[in-house]
Amino acid sequence: MEEELTSTEKLVRGKGVYVDDIRLPGMLHMAVVRSPYARARILSVSGGLNGNELKGGVESVGEGAAAAASETTEPIFGLKSANYAGQPVAAVFADDLYSAQDLMDSVDVEYEPLKPVMSIDEALRAPPIYSSTKSNIMSEKWRGEEFEIADAPLVLEDEFLNRRVATNPIEPRGLVASSEGSRLTIWISTQSVHSIKEGIVGSLNLKPENVRIIQADTGGGFGLKGGMYTEYLIAAYAAMKYKRPVKWVETRREHMMASRPGRGVKGKMKLFADRSGRVLGLKGEVIVEGGAFSGGMGEFASNFIALQCTGPYLIQKAHVRALSVYTNKVPLGPYRGAGRPEAAFFIERMMDKLADELKMDPADVRLLNATTEPFKSPTGLEFDPSRPFIEKALNEFNYRKRVANGNAGIGFFVLVPALQPGETCRIAVRGKKVNVWLGGNSHGQGHDIFIKKLVSDEFGIGEDDIIVERGDTDQLEDGVGAWGSRTAMVGGAAVVSVARKIKDQIEKEFGEYTPEHLLSNEFDVYTFERQKGSLTSLGGNMASVDIDALGTVNVKEIDCYYDVGRALNIDMVRSQIIGGAIQGMGQTLTEEIAYGPDGQLLTGSISDAGVLNAESLPRFNIKLADSYSRLPHGAKGLGEAPTIGVPCALARAIEKVSGRRIRETPVKPELLVGLEG
Amino acid sequence: MSKINITVEINGQKKSAEVEGRMLLVHFIRESAGLTGTHVGCDSTNCGACAVLLDGRAVKSCTVLAAQANGRKVVTVESLSDGGKLHPIQSAFLERHGLQCGYCTPGMLMSAYWLLSRNPSPTEEEIRKGIAGNLCRCTGYQGIVDSVKLAAERMKEAK
Repeated sequence: MEEELTSTEKLVRGKGVYVDDIRLPGMLHMAVVRSPYARARILSVSGGLNGNELKGGVESVGEGAAAAASETTEPIFGLKSANYAGQPVAAVFADDLYSAQDLMDSVDVEYEPLKPVMSIDEALRAPPIYSSTKSNIMSEKWRGEEFEIADAPLVLEDEFLNRRVATNPIEPRGLVASSEGSRLTIWISTQSVHSIKEGIVGSLNLKPENVRIIQADTGGGFGLKGGMYTEYLIAAYAAMKYKRPVKWVETRREHMMASRPGRGVKGKMKLFADRSGRVLGLKGEVIVEGGAFSGGMGEFASNFIALQCTGPYLIQKAHVRALSVYTNKVPLGPYRGAGRPEAAFFIERMMDKLADELKMDPADVRLLNATTEPFKSPTGLEFDPSRPFIEKALNEFNYRKRVANGNAGIGFFVLVPALQPGETCRIAVRGKKVNVWLGGNSHGQGHDIFIKKLVSDEFGIGEDDIIVERGDTDQLEDGVGAWGSRTAMVGGAAVVSVARKIKDQIEKEFGEYTPEHLLSNEFDVYTFERQKGSLTSLGGNMASVDIDALGTVNVKEIDCYYDVGRALNIDMVRSQIIGGAIQGMGQTLTEEIAYGPDGQLLTGSISDAGVLNAESLPRFNIKLADSYSRLPHGAKGLGEAPTIGVPCALARAIEKVSGRRIRETPVKPELLVGLEG
Repeated sequence: MSKINITVEINGQKKSAEVEGRMLLVHFIRESAGLTGTHVGCDSTNCGACAVLLDGRAVKSCTVLAAQANGRKVVTVESLSDGGKLHPIQSAFLERHGLQCGYCTPGMLMSAYWLLSRNPSPTEEEIRKGIAGNLCRCTGYQGIVDSVKLAAERMKEAK
């Protein structure tokens, strides 16, 4: 009877198969020996599998992939130097986890500790970490055009910081690698089997046809599980070397040290305005703390944030410098929003500052600067008219009435989803069942639900006839990944496209399409549904808070008004929004990956890192704009909206209630009781 | 490492094994008894993905030694359902979107089970407090709270 269980029913019965649940005969458990120093010269390494044998670097793949300069690519093992506390220097293997941990003592590493570079400001001042670079600047780009406004009546400047936040899915990273003959098979917790394949093939120099990646049940991702990691390469190499399957699952402490976190961005903003509240121009500087190695999100994020710095406003002049810098911390990765929340925080904080300066209502400042026509900002941000959207949102929030009590904050944003390059889908019909593979792999968002709905709608068949298959590179030749608020949108479009191709085929063959023709024959169609241009959407949030005498913020209510296009399943949309909103609250109030000046991690557990529990749950009012995108199934992006909008609204609400200017996340209680800042 | 013989009754079945003194209960459940529904989410008793009942009380099995469970009774997520029939808490989680990725779910279910066994009619605040030792990164908890509320109503009706 277990074959009949739906995927969610398996999960509530404890019958899911996550990576850690996979057991293969003769399987070895891997433990990773890591640098205890944030920065050190390594004089020697002996014991275990180490960099004397396994050389090479980690290829950047997945969300925000960027090729690294060779000297600053993350090596598989640190051999001559270590550049963050937690960087792998060796790995050991044993029949069980306890023995593997014991074996870690057999590795000898001689370190000569060096003074680490631990902040953006320090990175800009300090001599370069790498001898091959002139400074600690990883990348520098500009967006927009240089401008001067000599006679602006108002020039406002401020500086903001979103501290680093761990992704913290409840299932940490992990994989099982197994090698038979020339073939390497990997079961992994991932957002994209195809990114993992690309990274394994590229980094270990293997033939693509010899590598198969299969997705295990995946216990949350939030950006973490789309990219390549050195531990994956070590496990894959070891499986081939020892001819035995190798399992590695990170501990939570390893997650804090060595899984790539998000945020970690400073924004310096200078707003030019007239006395009516109209913004005349924006100059900005975005500085991303990229961490120890180049390539990937650390390098990509600064330019992406600069793109979005103008927000949903008619800002005709803008010039933004985008910097990424090296520090001795784990490299930055994507975390739900991946640059979008930072940009929104910077511009929305400035709009509030402008309102305060002119003693205007923050809503009026936003309406005044909103657009009535589609607009492309000087930094390149494209969006639909924002004024009608903001007006509608304020009505939905009942803003004018509720703001009178003084404790509400609002925030608006443009969601730039990862539309390009599109997504793949394969539908195979056989044995009266419709099997569907999608290029992006669900890491817990319940893709099954919308895929079944779309396939069922297109084909006119029951959802029981549809099987949504797990990610498997042997079954689907290519694919992109599930991130950047994209899957319901581009994945959905690919599903619809393949379904329509099959319907066309049936019409040609049988003269007409009927579900009977579909189910009583065999079809197998694959497509890469390419997407071009942009498909942004607008969103807004309102939040209200209380603050107690100890400076603890109690979030009372969060209102969301988002344009998600056509909502494919309203319950899933609500669940996505609330989950993301709590993450946005976490970033604003408690979440942080913090280090001491010596480079040692201070937040070693998931609670230290500030993940919120059920007691912090506020009341939610969720409204969706009634819209339909240009895609055949009408969907737009969703997943990241709440992590973008909630921190903006919440920061303002805290500012209103506390009377303290909010410039950083998380907003520490010390700031709110006046012991600090 | 010295080993000891222990016998633990898991879901009504006695499981005996020779284990190292340092072995954690969660590993005994997963590795020795082969019941992988109980998950490891952290190594610091914070997340609650490993919650099981030990002599009827919810515990985080990553912070109990297998040896401490010797001669005692453990109940895991696998025994919540009655054969094919889901427990009302499990079906409520399906109906009210009490899960997304499902990794925290077994621990959430066990904590909810323990809560409802002590307090059959919890208020929303009591539910939130009752599951405060379990972390979920996907749902934002609202769906879980709604699920537990629904389960409580159904279980009362069934009595």
